[in-house]
Amino acid sequence: MSEFLKGNYELKVEIEEHREDAEASATDEFERKALSRLGGSICFVSKKGFLWTGDAPKS
Amino acid sequence: MELGRRIASRLHDATFDRIAHVGVANAATHRPHIVRSVLELAGLPLGAGDAALVVAAGPSLHRRRSLERLAARGFPGTIVAVDSALAACLRNGVVPHVIVTVDPHDRIVRWFGEPALAAPSADDYFRRQEMDPVHATDEMSANRAVVALVDRHGPRLRVAVATSAAPSVVSRCRAAGMELFWWNPMYDDYERPDSVSRELHRENGLPCLNGGGNVGTASWVLAHAVLGKRRVGIIGMDFGYPPDTPYEKTQYYPELRDMLGERLGEAFVHFENPVLGEKWFTDPAYCWFRDVFLEMAREAQCETFNCTEGGVLFGPEIKTATLEEFLDHG
Repeated sequence: MSEFLKGNYELKVEIEEHREDAEASATDEFERKALSRLGGSICFVSKKGFLWTGDAPKS
Repeated sequence: MELGRRIASRLHDATFDRIAHVGVANAATHRPHIVRSVLELAGLPLGAGDAALVVAAGPSLHRRRSLERLAARGFPGTIVAVDSALAACLRNGVVPHVIVTVDPHDRIVRWFGEPALAAPSADDYFRRQEMDPVHATDEMSANRAVVALVDRHGPRLRVAVATSAAPSVVSRCRAAGMELFWWNPMYDDYERPDSVSRELHRENGLPCLNGGGNVGTASWVLAHAVLGKRRVGIIGMDFGYPPDTPYEKTQYYPELRDMLGERLGEAFVHFENPVLGEKWFTDPAYCWFRDVFLEMAREAQCETFNCTEGGVLFGPEIKTATLEEFLDHG
């Protein structure tokens, strides 16, 4: 899809990324990296009870 | 929100990313060898009454000499131990009714003793960790002692083993003569048609257990949701570090140091333990485990008694007791 959305014109002004956005992006990247090496040894699934033994038979 | 808590709040998805692919691959490896379901444990005579004691491997297990006190006092109920507490239990004459193992990584086999270990590991995990301090002084001789202990007791031991567990762990348990009872970790919402949990259950027919992020919480879930125990005590469930612990001796130190650099200290969250009046601290992973445990305890059909005598796990859903109070009245 991206091949159809390419710009076919040149901008007359230079677009600068807002400093706050850049910092937020750096923070996200920083945390994403940290997260990739942290975490537990088993998942937790919220509000799904403690034990699932399969679907109950339909009556 | 402080950095440590912000990271903790995102560990739900990070854990799935970290372990789901290897856990599912391990399940496929184990599939031909699966014979018994964890549900069969409920029909076995594992201790008397409706009380169970879960033995986790946090620093209070050693600081409070919980296992020596348990052995001296005795307990007629069911004892469920995490894999990393097994050797400490056996050293103190406590033979758990059930051991729980779930971690998909090969290094976990050390908790059962590695007969083939010829040299200390390249990484310092077992020398640095707080779960069984005997490994910190002489890794090789500690391992030999664990091998001998586990070999001696193996035929009396039952393991509730997750299909995610490392094949090396399963091989070691079989070689030591342990009985294996299998379960699937609950990876995601089983009601979704593309659910990993649903697919695993379809393939092997095993129940899916909601593990709460770590083997200690999974053991507590097993005690009440599988074994049906209504009063569950926990020891060694710190989810944190004593006040005098250097950051470099914490569980996730290398990862946090590499990722956070000078901001390392911001990752730790501090709590005052209301029983001891001590200021304990926790890292993002343990902080997430704590929050999850408190959420799960609200839904549990059991009373939970924290007899750890340390750590950061406290809240309205959890009663606090000394170990002796629980052993005598639990």
